[in-house]
Amino acid sequence: MATTAISSEVSPRPAGWPGTLLIIGRVALGVIFLIAAYAKLHFAGEWHLRDYQFFFAMAIDSYKMLPISAVQLMAQVLPWFELVLGIFLIAGIGLRVIGTITSGLLLVFIGAMTRAKILGLEINCGCFGNNEKLGAATLIRDSSLLVLALAVTIGAFLIKKRRERLSS
Amino acid sequence: MNSLTRRPIRVVTFLAFCAMAMTAFARPQAKPPAAPAAKTASAATAAPNFQKTIGNPSAPITMEVFGDFECPACRGFFEGTVKQVIDDYVIPGKVYIIHRDFPLEMHPYARQAARLANAAAEFGQFEAMERALYDHQDEWSAKGNIDQVMATYFPPAEFKKFQTFEAQHMAEINASIAKDQAMGTQRNVNQTPTVYITAHGKTEALPGGGVDYKLLKSYFDYLLRQ
Repeated sequence: MATTAISSEVSPRPAGWPGTLLIIGRVALGVIFLIAAYAKLHFAGEWHLRDYQFFFAMAIDSYKMLPISAVQLMAQVLPWFELVLGIFLIAGIGLRVIGTITSGLLLVFIGAMTRAKILGLEINCGCFGNNEKLGAATLIRDSSLLVLALAVTIGAFLIKKRRERLSS
Repeated sequence: MNSLTRRPIRVVTFLAFCAMAMTAFARPQAKPPAAPAAKTASAATAAPNFQKTIGNPSAPITMEVFGDFECPACRGFFEGTVKQVIDDYVIPGKVYIIHRDFPLEMHPYARQAARLANAAAEFGQFEAMERALYDHQDEWSAKGNIDQVMATYFPPAEFKKFQTFEAQHMAEINASIAKDQAMGTQRNVNQTPTVYITAHGKTEALPGGGVDYKLLKSYFDYLLRQ
């Protein structure tokens, strides 16, 4: 007990298996977001830093949810946003905020995919490049990612609470 | 170790992670599909050659569409996008459209429609037949009475020529459709419409299922500015 108290005084970082699990979870989630960003910027064997937005906009538009202007804006921004989220998750910076944003983003993705399935749209997911068809597998994958993101977020909040309790 | 001395370790670990992730995914990917055959193939092919094309072959952009005349998404793409592309880009000589037959098994009359389009193509009437097939898809796709419906949209003598040619060249027409399908399969086409854009010597696949005209227009304008 005393050891825990001493180590938490020195280091506010979580110790033991909850902390390790949190690190594994956030790094895994971060890497997946980096892959998602990478797949939108690099496909067909080359980088598409100047024209990626056209292809991604077409994928977003196939969901038939947003006006064209919003589709174009989202296509421009989302890959970079995913990149930043991935970096922050891996680095463990602002984990409670980043985890909440990541969970919210995944919830939006799952909502859009579910809606497309209900409407019977035969479209590509657009999640990891252009060639992946939207189906049950993509929904299960994103739902699993949401569970992971929620676990990371809740874990970050619990650890913060524990740190505050230990320091007080 | 306090938090200040730990920060460099954290940064180094993070950078190493980024480098590993980028290296792992910087593997060579599948090569893009070859440029459309219509622009490169020798003209010395045996007649008939079924030119299912619209526009000038020397246009800076080529749009290849793997389509199925019975597919509702193909009709939507044709009505909402291709017609505007023809008006705004094909007629001014900026885009060349190539149709590739990709009749899906789930559509029982798609192959029959494709055969008629191929026959019309032989008389330089591919665009007119494509328009008629998509414009009136609802009229023929329920019962498969394609000839009966299409005959009302062409002069009788001209339509008779299409039918006669189709009957006399059934094997060649089927071979032409099979060739397009094989090309699609080779390019991993798994839905219709699937669109490939070739410009500046590079071919890119667009997301399957059709594309909004405004988005395609912005992409064409970008390619034409290059």
